[in-house]
Formats: sequence, structure tokens, C-alpha cells
Amino acid sequence: MTSEVLVPPLGQTVDTLTLVSWYKNEGDAVTEGEPLFAVETDKATLDVEAPASGVLREVRAAPGDQVKVLTAIATIEAAVRLEPPHAVVTASDVVTASDAKAGSLPGDRRDDPSGRPPLPSIFNLQSSARIFISPRARRLAESKGVPLDLVTPTGPEGAIIERDVQAYLEEMLNQPAGRGGPTCPPPSAPARPLPPEAPAQPGPKTASPIAQRLAEEAGIDWRTLTGSGPRGQVTREDVQAAAAGPAYAASAASDASAASDASAASDASAASDAHHLQSSIFNLPSAPQVIPLSGMRGLIAERMAASHRETAAVTLTTEVDATALVALRRQLATDGVAVSYNDLFLAILARTLAEHPRLNASLDGDTIVLKPQIDLGLAIDTERGLIVPVVRGVDRKGLARLAAVTVDLAERARAGRCTPEELTGSTFTLTNLGMHGIDAFTPIINLPECAILGVGRISTQPAWVVDHVEPRERVWLSLTFDHRLVDGGPAARFLQRVAQLAEKPHLLIT
Amino acid sequence: MTQMSIAEAIREGIREEMRRDPAVFCIGEDIGIPGGFGGAFTVTLGLSDEFGHERILDTPISELGLAGVAVGAAMAGLRPIADVQYSDFLFLAMDQLVNNAAKMTYMSGGVAKVPMVMRAPVGATARGSQHAQSLEAFFCHVPGLKVVAPATAYDAKGLLKSAVRDDNPVIMFEHKLLYGSKGPRTERGALSPVGEVPDEDYVVPIGKGIIRRPGKDVTIVGKLLTMYRALAAAEELAKEGIEAEVIDPRTLVPLDKELLLESVKKTGRLVIVEEDNLTGGWAGDLAAIIADEAFFWLDAPVKRVSAPDVPPPFAPVMEQFYVPSVERVVAAARALLGK
Amino acid sequence: MADSQLQLSLYRSMLTIRRFEERCNNLFMQGKIPSTLHLYIGQEAVAAGVCAHLTAADYATSTHRPHGHSIAKGVSLRSIMAELYAKRTGCCKGKGGSMHVGDMTVGMIPAIAIVGGNIPLTTGLALACKRLGQGRVAVGFMGDGATNEGAFHEGLNMAAIWDLPAVFVVENNLYAASTPVGVTFKIQDIAQRAASYGMASDICDGMDVLAVYEAAGRAIARARAGGGPTLLECKTYRHCGHSRSDPRTYRPKEEETDWATRDAILRMAAHLKEAGLVTGESLAQIEQEVMAAVDDAVAFAESSPSPAPEEALEDVFWGEGPVPFAAAASGGVR
Repeated sequence: MTSEVLVPPLGQTVDTLTLVSWYKNEGDAVTEGEPLFAVETDKATLDVEAPASGVLREVRAAPGDQVKVLTAIATIEAAVRLEPPHAVVTASDVVTASDAKAGSLPGDRRDDPSGRPPLPSIFNLQSSARIFISPRARRLAESKGVPLDLVTPTGPEGAIIERDVQAYLEEMLNQPAGRGGPTCPPPSAPARPLPPEAPAQPGPKTASPIAQRLAEEAGIDWRTLTGSGPRGQVTREDVQAAAAGPAYAASAASDASAASDASAASDASAASDAHHLQSSIFNLPSAPQVIPLSGMRGLIAERMAASHRETAAVTLTTEVDATALVALRRQLATDGVAVSYNDLFLAILARTLAEHPRLNASLDGDTIVLKPQIDLGLAIDTERGLIVPVVRGVDRKGLARLAAVTVDLAERARAGRCTPEELTGSTFTLTNLGMHGIDAFTPIINLPECAILGVGRISTQPAWVVDHVEPRERVWLSLTFDHRLVDGGPAARFLQRVAQLAEKPHLLIT
Repeated sequence: MTQMSIAEAIREGIREEMRRDPAVFCIGEDIGIPGGFGGAFTVTLGLSDEFGHERILDTPISELGLAGVAVGAAMAGLRPIADVQYSDFLFLAMDQLVNNAAKMTYMSGGVAKVPMVMRAPVGATARGSQHAQSLEAFFCHVPGLKVVAPATAYDAKGLLKSAVRDDNPVIMFEHKLLYGSKGPRTERGALSPVGEVPDEDYVVPIGKGIIRRPGKDVTIVGKLLTMYRALAAAEELAKEGIEAEVIDPRTLVPLDKELLLESVKKTGRLVIVEEDNLTGGWAGDLAAIIADEAFFWLDAPVKRVSAPDVPPPFAPVMEQFYVPSVERVVAAARALLGK
Repeated sequence: MADSQLQLSLYRSMLTIRRFEERCNNLFMQGKIPSTLHLYIGQEAVAAGVCAHLTAADYATSTHRPHGHSIAKGVSLRSIMAELYAKRTGCCKGKGGSMHVGDMTVGMIPAIAIVGGNIPLTTGLALACKRLGQGRVAVGFMGDGATNEGAFHEGLNMAAIWDLPAVFVVENNLYAASTPVGVTFKIQDIAQRAASYGMASDICDGMDVLAVYEAAGRAIARARAGGGPTLLECKTYRHCGHSRSDPRTYRPKEEETDWATRDAILRMAAHLKEAGLVTGESLAQIEQEVMAAVDDAVAFAESSPSPAPEEALEDVFWGEGPVPFAAAASGGVR
């Protein structure tokens, strides 16, 4: 597979740039994310990173050339697809060894032990793409439901060791609340299993049919297992893990029951034993693990802090009957139009913002600017961090078009291939944490906007309808607004309209 | 409390046991001769003055014979503390120790007992291959024998007493470089650890190991001299922020397995260091136990730091190459942590 | 001269050993006894003559051919037979087998199957006897072959230098397994070796129980009195092979028939008749009683329970429980 090396559109005012230099020659191996060439804009000289890994080919521009933005000046021929990692949870993407080694932040480099002679090969690993996982790491990953293809190995010779799984767990817990939760994944990818941390799962325990059958064959009571499926359902993988290693299942089950006991345990050895699995409190790394606050992480940190500091943020919440919305989505799917709840809420937001322009505004110095366009930001969780690509002119797109755009944007956001233009200029932002079972939350405003809508989990709840109680689909909406620009009344009315359209989506076509 | 060397501590242990129980006596070569050495490493020096030459019994050069005499005397109700001057000489007595002492209780259906102790010094000390071996492994492998290996004065006295009081045959291995022998029997290059020993009666139970230094990143197990290597290695590793847990098993058979398993389950990494040759060594047995019972707690392979598969050489530079060094232990621990 | 009661008991003792060993042979041929056997047939006079001087407080050690010594020392026929049958009621609970029979309660140390291995043990037992006083002695039985082991040299030397109450009884039956003594000794009498240790020695006709009794009596008396150890060589002959799988083709037939005429039991029977101490009937009576005892032992063994397989894990250490062992695989649970 060949990728094009494009001249990036760096800034809105130039359409040609000067190629200053190449960092690699034709025929060299390049790694995705490493600096490949430098260009000069009217303001500065900037490095451009390689968009893919492979071998650099077909170099068409030389230093000094004027090159047009978004034209290809070279190609990268991808390396032969390597074997998928050994015994890893099913994933839509095949993770190659070099992908896993690249690290979680662009530009990451592994430290070389300085000055020492090369260590003897202690793990005795062949140089192949097979990812080796220490028994301890595998045990921890299986008990916490960590997909090993997302774990960055830092052990000797590229093996995944315990601290790598712990690092993954730490990252999962460190996602900022509100902003940046994962949105609905693109329809092509299966849902990632959650680490089952909480001792009790909500609702009665379930197991998938195949899990039940496998459990019966293996003589295992699936009710004693901790499920890693949606809402704690026991999956086939859970049963297979338990059948292969009773200790996993036993410790996972005892995690669940012993979680409340573990905090009361006073035994010194257990308490001092940070690695011990018999605790529902997540395990700390065995040594302080350093993640620099640079690159994406640094940017996110800065912007979140600024928003929190500068805005007078107030969050309104309301619970909405989503039964009609759910039915609409189903009906559309039956008729061949696949839309996500995000798409639906984008449409609802666009309509409501058109009616409430004060919420489609930003603070520019000491003036409030009401924007004529409705460009909505969609918060997407990626490996590298939170990314908010922008869907332009949502009010001018039908649902099907919206769905196509959001699918594409989400995919490219995850792959780190959104253009800078795609990442700026939103007038309002949508963030969805429903897939993680969150109901209401307090999203942080995406400056310079004045409000942000958070969508929670859609679940079946008993509701009073006219004169009786019946099961309905319910969803929580959380609207954080900047009180400097907007008052409570208008904000509440805005949310009320969003709620109304969510409850009665047929109104969208009126 | 008294500060004592290991040789002194063992001597005190023997003295106290012989005072406590008239059935206890010592049998060996050059152990009670007036004006003599007090055994090869001065352990029995002066005891014949107090107990006479029937209870500190000198034998001809007859290791097989004296081992057999110890077995017979033990079966008839005495409690002998036999010794050989170098553990290498135990091979002469293998039949009596392995075929008789170890098996008498079993072959008699639990009726006969052999409450004897056999003491033997191990370790390379520039005397050549036949006076240098560490051969605990040969005896760990024999059902019916208990094997202890104290590395401190406190443990030496405590384990000697436990061995005497045990109704089963106990082989006690001591290290030549740890005795702290003085005068003409001073060993060049000895470590001679001196430790506090209680004056009152105490025992160290057979079958209980001890954590010499707690840690969380890697477990290092060493015995006798290599226990000190492990401690020195742990100091080095601590400078790099690696906290090693050093375990001294003290008893080799029966092994304190729980202590070892608990430690490895905590750290996930194990280095075993011993002065014996690699192949068929005691370290391999420990590694097998861990691979069997703690496999899923391992974050790295189990490493053995042993002597190469050669007889102990004479030349000091070669001997230093042969005996596991602190550097080798440090390197092994580092490698397990990927540093 | 031994009194009449004693002579009768000597005869009974020899006969018991003989009939017991013959019965073992038959049972082995019938496949009832799992192990091999080293039968004592022909040498009964030595065991009977020596052990007649010993009490339960004295010690005796033996070799891979221990049935005769054990019976003479007082180990019950039942417990020996049950041991041969590998039953739990055997003298070693089924853990020893033919070559390790013994009974500490009657001073019979479980036999040592390594040739010469019991000699230093005997020295050690004698050392304890001397220390503990009470005039007890330790007797070590061995064959001519054992006297060439280093253990013989070391054990006798130490017994001599410490003046221990030990008697080393060498049953010189002219063959060590299949090797005749002419090939392995430059000397005529093994008793000569005692001189090199400064130890007393004696030689007697091992086919004459009264001669053995007398010579053994002197040696044991010397030991009890604190006179030190004795090497007592008994010239004897085993009628049977070294073990059950021995066709004895290394011995001339004439030699065997010649020794058979000097059979100790026949000679003693003749002597007793001559001395008027028995009649044909009383001999037959003794025969009957001995056979009844042997039958009883066999019946006891056959009706006794076998040990449970897991009993293999018991009695390794005195006073402790069974060793841990997981039959399926080594080690414990993950």
C-alpha cells in the first residue's frame, strides 16, 4: 500500500510553500510521525512529519522548489504487512510491531542505555513481529479486560511487561471528565471492552450464549466470572480465559467480591504489595512513570486550564425521553441509512442553534460575536488524546451526508490525519460519553465557543406516561454555557428546545 | 548478647548442647587433640578441655568409618556431631550418609531414628579442586536428609542447636570464608562476618528462611557466601533505584518455599546465585519450583548466577572468575529489568 | 559345655531358620514373594550359636542375607514373612523388604544391603554401648567378601583403638557371590587380619553349633568385660545359591555334597540323640512345632493387608508426617 506525502496547508493565507530540505533520501526507511522534510511559510520554517511508515519513493521536489499545498511531493511504500500480535484480543486494526513500538506520543524516542555494552538477550526473543507478553502482564491484562493490542511494550526486547499494562490502565483513568470521552466508534469497529473495575455490575449478570455454552462445556460457572462485555456481560473470551487459567477467573471473581474487603485488609504484606491483584483499586506502576506534558497532551492541558480559568461555566442538565429518537434511528437503519446518535444530535443542535443564535457565539476581546455559520465540533477520543474535528455547515447537510462526514472525520482523527483546518473554527461542540455508561457530566467549554452539549447514556428506564409507568428510552443531556455571554434563562430555553427535538425528532423536518 | 564470629558461634552452640545433654558428643579428625587445631577451622578448639576425649572423639583418617560410627551411635541413643574437614571428603562417606543415615527411619517403617549431625565446610579458597567444592546439591537430593547452610553467627549457633535436637540426620554446610577463624587458621580473603549472638538459649528453626533485605523490583536468593554477594549487589542496584529483595534460605531441605513464592509473587523477578556449578545445581531446583508454582507472576525469566561447569580452579584470578561476583549478580538483575 | 536346655534351644533355633528359609524358597517359586531372596540355608549354626549369648538389649547388625540372624535375635517369624509378602504388618511396614528386615525392639538393626556397610555401624553401636554402660555389646555379621571393603578396615580399626565391646563375626562361606576366596585373599584365614588392628581373633567350625557357641561366648564375654573387640571367623558353607537367581555353576558338585554331609542341623540332631537329650519322637515333635510356627507365619502374612500406595510418603523423617507430593504433577497450585 502506498501513501502520498502531501504538502500540508500550513495556515490559511498561503497556497505555495518553499521546500527547504529533506530529512530522508529516496529509498530510506521512514517511520510514521518522524520529521520527513522542512518547508518555509511566509512566517517560519516548519518540519513536516511522515504520514506513514515504509520506504520513501518517487521524490518529486528538491530543496528550494516552490510547492503547492496539498500536492504530493513523494510517496511512501508501506512495509510488508507483519503478522498480527500473538494471542491478542480481536481488534479491527492489525497492530504491527512497529506501530506498537512507536509510543503513545508523536516523536517519542526510547532511551538508549548509554555507554554500556549490549545486554545479553535475556528474553531470547527472535526478531519477529510476534509480541511477547510476560505471564504477569498477561494475567493483569486479562483480569482487567485490557486489550493487549493497545498496550505499548517497554520491556526488554519489545516485550509487554506488567508496568505497560498498568500504564494503559492509568491512561484510561486519566481521561478528563466531560471533554474528550470516546464517542460512538465508527460502525466498522467493534466496541472495545471496558476494564471491569467496579465490584458490582448494574443489573442482573448476563453471559452471551456462546459464553454460556463454552462455560458449560468447560465445567465453569459463568456467574463467578467478571464480564468484560457491555454492561458487564460475560463474553466468550472471559470464559476461555477462565478455562485456560483458573487463577485468572478466581482472582477476577475474588476481585469483585473482595473489593470491599481489600480496603479493610490490614495485613502488612498485602497492603505493601502494590502489585497484588486482590484489590479493585487500580494498580500503580512499580516505578514512577514519566509522561511528558508536551505535544498533544500539553496542548490539551493548556486549553482545558484556560477554559476552566476564563469562563464562568454553568452546567444545566435535563433528562429526555429518547424513545422516538431510538426508533427513528432504527427505522433509518432498516431503510439503509446508517446514522449515529452523534449525527442525530448534530442535526438537532444545528436546528436549535439556528433558533438561538446567542449560543452560536464567541467572546472576542470585549465583544460578543454571533457567528453566521453553524460549524460543529465533535469530540473524539484517540490513542494520542482528545481530538475535536469540525463538521462544517451542519445546518446545510442532511442526515445521510452528516453520517458520511462524521465517519470519515472520526477515522482520520484516530489516524492523526486531519488537516489543521479541520481542527479549528467550530462554533459549538458536541461531546458524547454515553458509550461509557455516563449519564450527566460537566463538559468543559471549547474556547472560544460559549457552550458545549454533553450527551449521556441511553438506557431503558421506567417512566410515568400519562397515567401509568412503562419502560422508556431515557437519556441525559448536559449543557455547559459561559455565563459571561449567556444567561441562565436563554441557556435553559436552548436546552429545552434541544430536549424537545430529541423527544420529538419528527419536528426536525418541519 | 555477644559479638561472635561464625566459628565461635558454632563452638558455643556445641558447648551448650553438650552441657545440656550428655548424649551429645563430637566425632571427627583433629578435633580434640591437645595442642591441636580444634578441627580444620578451629570450631572445636578448647572443647576437649571441658568435655574430655571420649566426648570430643578424634578418629583416624576414616571418613567412611566415622560417618558409619555416627549412624550406629545415633541409632543406639547417642547424639553425635560428626564432621569432615572439607566437604569434598563427604564423598568418601556417601554410602553411610545416603544409604544408611538417610534411609534407616524409612526402611525400618518409622521405628529407627538417626539423630546425628554432620558438619562440612564448603567454598573455594585457593586450595585446588578437591578442597573447594560447594556440593550441597548432592545432599539436597537425598530423601531423609535435612540440609542447613547458615551464613551468620546467629544462624550458625541457632541452626547447630536445632540440628542437634532434631531426631533426624542433618548435614550442616559452613563456608570457609565466613568462619572468621583466627590465628594460624586465618583464611585469606575471608569475609568473617561477626554478629550478635544471644547469651541465652535459643534456636533457629530448621525449614525457615529469612528476608535479609526487603525490596520490590527483583528477588535475589543466595546462600552462604553468595548471600553476601547478593546483599552487595542489592546495594549497587539501589543506587540505580532498583530495590532488590534478598532472601537467605538458611535451610536448603526442607526449603522455606512459601517465603520464596511470596517474594517472587511480589517482585515478579528472580535471580538465584550460588557457588556451585550451573548444571544440576540447587538453583535449578528453585527455578523449577518457581516455574511451576509462580509462573503467572513472572514478569521476566528466572536467572541463575552460578559457577561455570568446571572444577574449581586454583589460580586466584581464575577462582575469582569461577565464584559468582557481585558484578554478575548486578548484571543479571539489571537484565531482568531491561536496563 | 552348654546345658541340655540350651542345646535343645540351639537346635530349635537352627531348625526354625532352616524350615523358614526353605518355605521362603517354595513361596518364591510360587510367585508369592515379590522380591529376590538371599537364603541362609547351611549357615544356621553361626546365627544360632552367636545370638544365643545376646539379649534384647544387645545389638546385632546384618547383611543382605539377614533372615537367619534376625530369627536368631528374636524377630518374629510373622513380621519377617509379612515383610517378604510386602504387607503393612511386616517388620518394616513393607518399606524394607528381605534385605532390610530387623526389629529395634529386640536389638536387631534393620539389615544393611551394601556389603560392608554395617561394619562401621556396628562400631558406632558398640561405642554407644560402652558410653551407656550396662555391659551391652554390638555384634556385626558379615561375609568373607565384606572383609575386603574399606569399611571393614575403618570399622575394625576404630573398634580396636577405642576398645569397644564389639564382635565382628565373619561367616566365611568360601564365596563372595560367585568369586571364591582363593581369588580374593592372599591369606588363608580372615582372622589373621585382626592382628593388624591389634584386635583379638578366633576361628571356629561354622558347621558345629556348639563350637560356634563356645567361641562366640568367649568373644562376647571379653566384650562385656571391657576387654575390647574380637574378630570371630566361622568356617561355613551355604547350601543354596547366593540369591534365588543363582544356579551355582561356579561351585564343584563334589564340594557341595561334601559340605552337605557336614550339615550343622543333621550333626546337631545326631549329637542330641547320642547324648540322650532327644528321642526320635521329640525330634519329630520339635519338627512339628517349628513347621506350625512357619505355617502360622505364612497364614499371617497372607491374610495381612497391603499398605496403601500413599504410605510410601510416610516415615521419611522420624516424628514427622508424610512428605508433600502431588501425584499429578510437581508442585502446588498456581
